[in-house]
Amino acid sequence: MTVMTTQTAPAVGFDQVSKSFGNVKAVDGLTLSLRPGETVALLGPNGAGKSTTLDLLLGLKQPDSGAVRVFGVTAREAIVAGRVGAMLQSGGLMDEVTVAELVGLACALHPKPYKASDVMARAGIAQIASRKVNKLSGGQAQRVRFALATAGDSDLIVLDEPTTGMDVTARQAFWATMREQADQGRTVLFATHYLEEADAIADRVLVLHRGRLLADGTAAEIKAKAGARRISFDLEGEIDERALRELPFLTALDVSGHTVRIQSADADATVHALYGLGLYPRNLEVAGLGLEQAFVAITAAEEAKTK
Amino acid sequence: MNSLIKLELARAMRNRKFLFFSVIYPSVLFLLISSTSDTTTKVDGTGLTLPTYMMVSMASFGALTAVLMGNSERIAKERESGWVRQLRLTTLPGRGYVLAKTASAAVVSLPSIVVVFVCAATLKDVRLDAWQWGALTAAIWAGSLVFAALGVAIGYLADGDAVRPITMITYFGLSILGGLWWPTATFPAWLRGIAEWAPTHAYAALGQAIEQSQAPHAKDIAILVAFFALFTGGAAWLYRKDTLKA
Repeated sequence: MTVMTTQTAPAVGFDQVSKSFGNVKAVDGLTLSLRPGETVALLGPNGAGKSTTLDLLLGLKQPDSGAVRVFGVTAREAIVAGRVGAMLQSGGLMDEVTVAELVGLACALHPKPYKASDVMARAGIAQIASRKVNKLSGGQAQRVRFALATAGDSDLIVLDEPTTGMDVTARQAFWATMREQADQGRTVLFATHYLEEADAIADRVLVLHRGRLLADGTAAEIKAKAGARRISFDLEGEIDERALRELPFLTALDVSGHTVRIQSADADATVHALYGLGLYPRNLEVAGLGLEQAFVAITAAEEAKTK
Repeated sequence: MNSLIKLELARAMRNRKFLFFSVIYPSVLFLLISSTSDTTTKVDGTGLTLPTYMMVSMASFGALTAVLMGNSERIAKERESGWVRQLRLTTLPGRGYVLAKTASAAVVSLPSIVVVFVCAATLKDVRLDAWQWGALTAAIWAGSLVFAALGVAIGYLADGDAVRPITMITYFGLSILGGLWWPTATFPAWLRGIAEWAPTHAYAALGQAIEQSQAPHAKDIAILVAFFALFTGGAAWLYRKDTLKA
């Protein structure tokens, strides 16, 4: 019976979870469920509540209200059973020991350990095995943290902003390693504020903003939502706002004086239709929205929907 | 947990500065202090020669250094760096970290006790019965656990920059007050009154009682037990507070 529930239980389940620090609601009524085997990105700008969400998931923080379950049990129980491997954002390492010693410790503490040499090879740190942990570069330290998270046969790997401090090459190598983990059927959850990372790796993207779940979908869906572009141009003479509002893929319109600002989910189509109206826009500019603005756009869209 | 103890120990053995201060330094101090007197003058009210008296003081001091310094600063630093959080994501039980720290400190404190004894016996002609050597080592080693608990409490109480001064003040305060550097018999009466209740005084008194072929005084044992309860209780409370905060 118990076996049944743990097997069918979601890898991660949040039920109406809230956590505040003083007046700030870091996580606000969060409900989500990750299916085993999914690769999920937790996407959000800084301060969105990503780290707090992962801390709650891992049992490092206790929620003010709501319940957190990992494979149907508490985080601590799942960790003790060896089902969870995790890498914290800038999580400290034991210093004055070598990389090999530290990875060896992580393997010794895991109930279903891999061989330390294999773990280091997979994390790409075999060649720095004898180096002292406190003498590593930022990117190398991240790889050591990754090795600690993958020291054993865990079912869920949690990574908080794993590519912080890595250059582009290191980042790509890292994600290749990461994908191997996912291909072995593990559930992988990682926090990032790069939409591109979420797009390249994840089957599913959760967008977090001010502690709330804004969007939950495939990377393509999120990209369409967050990939909104801003179009601005000047028009001479009388501006027919009604006609502009009918433009395809338009999500927001702002006219001030001769200047028109539009947000569009598909800028190419919108601009094409703009010329189709027989208008002659001057000083035409098309720019991507930053992630932060994209979130605001999504929020606005979500709020409009609920009204 | 054994793997963490082993690694903590390997690290402590590599730290030359720490080894010097906890293993060599007490013996050096012992030789310096005992060289100021001949080997026959008795310390007031004890019937022990100065080298015999100071041998226990310095062995206690060495053990105190190893366990107090080893625990407090490391714990504060590793709490700050996030290593303690990372360990909470392993199967290591909550107390495992503190126990590993204490166990490795205890392994370092043993040689610091023995080296003082060897110096005393070979260079300063201190002669005791075999049972006394054994009992002294056991009493001083076991008694150091009281201060290991204090080190843990300080490590969870103070952060980063504050931990060193707090440790130092505690360390020197307890050393001097306990008569580890100068016999308390040389203190003015009012200070002697206070010193009698210091855990370090009771700690050194254990060893001195053994040297006098007596059983340790009940009062000293009671003081040590009370402080042990106080320090472990405080450490446990601070640990829990820290865990909820992290």
